[in-house]
Amino acid sequence: MSSSCGNPQAEEDTLMLRRTKFDRSKDCVRCKERAGNVVVRHAVYCKTCFVPLIAVKFRRALDPHINPLPDGPRRKGLKAAGSLLLGLSGGLGSSVLLDLVNRTYFDFSPDAGGGDDVKSGAGVKSEPRGGRDHPRNASVWPAGRVCYVETCAAFPGARDRTEHVRRVVAAYDRLEFVPLRVEDAFSSAWWARVGGAPASKDLGVDITNQDLILSAASTPHDASESESDTPASRLQRYIRALPTQTAIPSAVHTLTRVLLLYTAAATGASHLLLGTSLTSLSVSLIAGIAQGGGFAVREEAQGVWVPGVRVGAGGSGSANGNGHENGAVRVVRPLRDIGMKECAMWAWWHRLVVVGREKFPGAKQSIGPLTKEFIVGLERDYPSTVSTVARTCAKLAPKKGSATTTNNNNNNNNNICMLCERQPLSGLLTTSSSTPQRPAQDGVQDWKARISIRSFADAGSFATYRPPHFPERDLSITPSPAPTPAPSLTPFLCYACHTTLTSRSSRGTTVRAAPGPTGHPVPLPVWVGGNLAASPPDSGGDGGGADGRREEGEEGDVGETWVRRRMDPASMRVVVADFLLDD
Amino acid sequence: MTTISVKVEFSGGLELLFSNQRSHAVTIPSTDPTDSAPTNLQYLITYLRDNLLKERVELFVENETVRPGILVLVNDTDWELEGEGDYVLKDGDEIVFISTLHGG
Repeated sequence: MSSSCGNPQAEEDTLMLRRTKFDRSKDCVRCKERAGNVVVRHAVYCKTCFVPLIAVKFRRALDPHINPLPDGPRRKGLKAAGSLLLGLSGGLGSSVLLDLVNRTYFDFSPDAGGGDDVKSGAGVKSEPRGGRDHPRNASVWPAGRVCYVETCAAFPGARDRTEHVRRVVAAYDRLEFVPLRVEDAFSSAWWARVGGAPASKDLGVDITNQDLILSAASTPHDASESESDTPASRLQRYIRALPTQTAIPSAVHTLTRVLLLYTAAATGASHLLLGTSLTSLSVSLIAGIAQGGGFAVREEAQGVWVPGVRVGAGGSGSANGNGHENGAVRVVRPLRDIGMKECAMWAWWHRLVVVGREKFPGAKQSIGPLTKEFIVGLERDYPSTVSTVARTCAKLAPKKGSATTTNNNNNNNNNICMLCERQPLSGLLTTSSSTPQRPAQDGVQDWKARISIRSFADAGSFATYRPPHFPERDLSITPSPAPTPAPSLTPFLCYACHTTLTSRSSRGTTVRAAPGPTGHPVPLPVWVGGNLAASPPDSGGDGGGADGRREEGEEGDVGETWVRRRMDPASMRVVVADFLLDD
Repeated sequence: MTTISVKVEFSGGLELLFSNQRSHAVTIPSTDPTDSAPTNLQYLITYLRDNLLKERVELFVENETVRPGILVLVNDTDWELEGEGDYVLKDGDEIVFISTLHGG
C-alpha cells in the first residue's frame, strides 16, 4: 500500500531488495574445497579459513601503527616505542581482542596462531624464522597490560565483576592485570598514583547553569560528612546530576575512556588498544553524532592522545616516557574491520570466556541502546551496510575554517576538551605539540545559541545580545551580566560534553539533583582541575579570556566570525527604507 | 508420536535466560503438531520460548524468530547456510545460540 502522498509506481522500486544471505555456493570462497561454516557479509568461509582471515584483518588494522614511524617500512620487523595497554570491558569485542593480541604478539608457543584449538583448524603462525631468541623475533612490546574499569559504582545494583575478569586475564600469563574503578575519576589518590600534575584542585560545577560556573568543591562540614565524601559518593553525585538518561552511559563511557588514557600514559604505554568491533564502531559513530560528537567523529575510529597535563612523573605508576614525543598514546581499534558476528564466531570456536558487562538499566530508550538496536538489526538484514557506516564516517572532516583546520595550519593540534580530552584527529604522524592547551571547538557556544531552541532566560552569559523579537517590556527578565565574571567551564568543553551536562530532556526523565541536595556544587573528575590548572589564562573558549567571554565580533583565529549587534529602531528603518510601504 | 532429541547450547549471556544452564538436552516431536510438517528450527525456537525460557522473552525472540544479534549454529555451521528457520531438525543435531550483545 502506498502512502497518500507517494508515487505508487516508483515506491516499489525504491525499496531495498533483500539479498540472499550468501553468494552462489555453500563452499568456502577461499579454499574452494571444504563446505562453508560461516557467512561473513555474503561470503562463505570454512572454519579453517576463517581463523587466518580474522588474524590477517586484525594485523592489517594494527601493524601499520606499531612502529614509532607509522606506515613506514616494516621489513626490519615491528618494534613499539613503549609498552601496550589493552582496555578490557568484559564484552565480546575486547575479549576477542585480548585473545588475538596474546596469540599474535605475546604467546610464542607453536600453537598460538589460533588454529590448533579449533577443530580441524590450521594455525596462522608457525615457529618464528631463526628461532624465538633471534633478535628479529623479539617481543613487539616490552610489556603488556590489561586494564579493566569496574563501573558498578555508577549503576545501583550492578555486580562487581573485577574478580571474574581477573581470573580471565590470569590465563594470559604474559599480560599483567590492572584493575581500576570508575570512581577513580574522582579520586585524588588515583590522580597522584598516575602522577597527575599539577595537583588537581577539588572543583565543582553548577550544572543547572549553561555557563557551568566553577567553584571549589564543597568541603565536608563534619566528620560524618567527611567519611561519606568518598570517590564513589562523588561519582554518584555527578551521575545523579546529569540531566538525561542518555547522558549517564555517555558520561560513564567518557570517564572510562579517560581513565584508560591516563593509565596508559602512567604505565609508559605507547599504544592503547580497544576492542571496538566494526558493529560497535558503527553504533558509537552514529550515537556519538546524535549526541553532538560529530566534531570528533574521525577520532572515534582511531587517534592520538597527548596528555594535557604532566603525568607519569613522580607517581607510583610512573614510567620513563613511552618513546613518543610528548608521551603521545596511540589509540587503536584493531577490530574495526571485524564485525560482531565474526567476533562471536571466534569466541565460540576458541572457547573464550566472555564475562559480559553491566548495562545501565534505565537507558533502554536512550540514544546508545536505540542506535545499537538499529545497527544490529541492519547487520542481520543487510550485512554490508554496517561497514558502509564506518567507511563513510572515516571520510568526514571538520568544516573548513573550524578549529581543527585552523589550528592544523598553525601547527597547533593540541586542542582538547577538558572533560573528555578529545583532540581533533591530526593523523598518526603528528604527535607533537608544545603549544598551550586550547578549547576543542571555537565558537561552539555562539553556534549553539544560533541553532538551538531554548529559553532566553537560560542562555547564560553567552547571550550577550537581545534577539530582535524580544520585547522591550520584558527587559527585566533579560539575564543581567554578573558584576564580576564567574569562572566558567563551558568554554573549555566540546559541544558533546557541554550537551551531556546541560541538555535537558523534554520528558524530564531524570531527577535533577544539581547543584546538590545541600546546595553543594557537583564534583568534577580530577583531571578537569589538572587541565584547568595547566591551561594558560588566555585560553578561554571562543577565543576569550579565562572566564570564557568574548567580545562580540572579535576577530580570532576562527575561520568564520559572526558579528551580532543590536540596531536601534532608526537604523533599522534606514536599512529597510526601500521596502517600506507608504502610510 | 515419534520424537527426536537435540542438544541445545546457549552462550554469550543467553544462558542467563535459561536457568543459567548452558547445555540442554531437548526432546521434541519429529513432526509439528499444528501442520504435521517435519519439525524445523523455527519450531524449536518456539518450543524453547514456551518451555525453557525463564524470563524476558523479548531478549530471545522477536517476530517469531531469534532477535537480531543472536547467532545460531547448526552442527557448528551458521544457520544462514542451512536455511535458517526452515532447517529440518534431525535426531542428534547440536544447535547453539550465541548472543553477540555483550558489548565490546
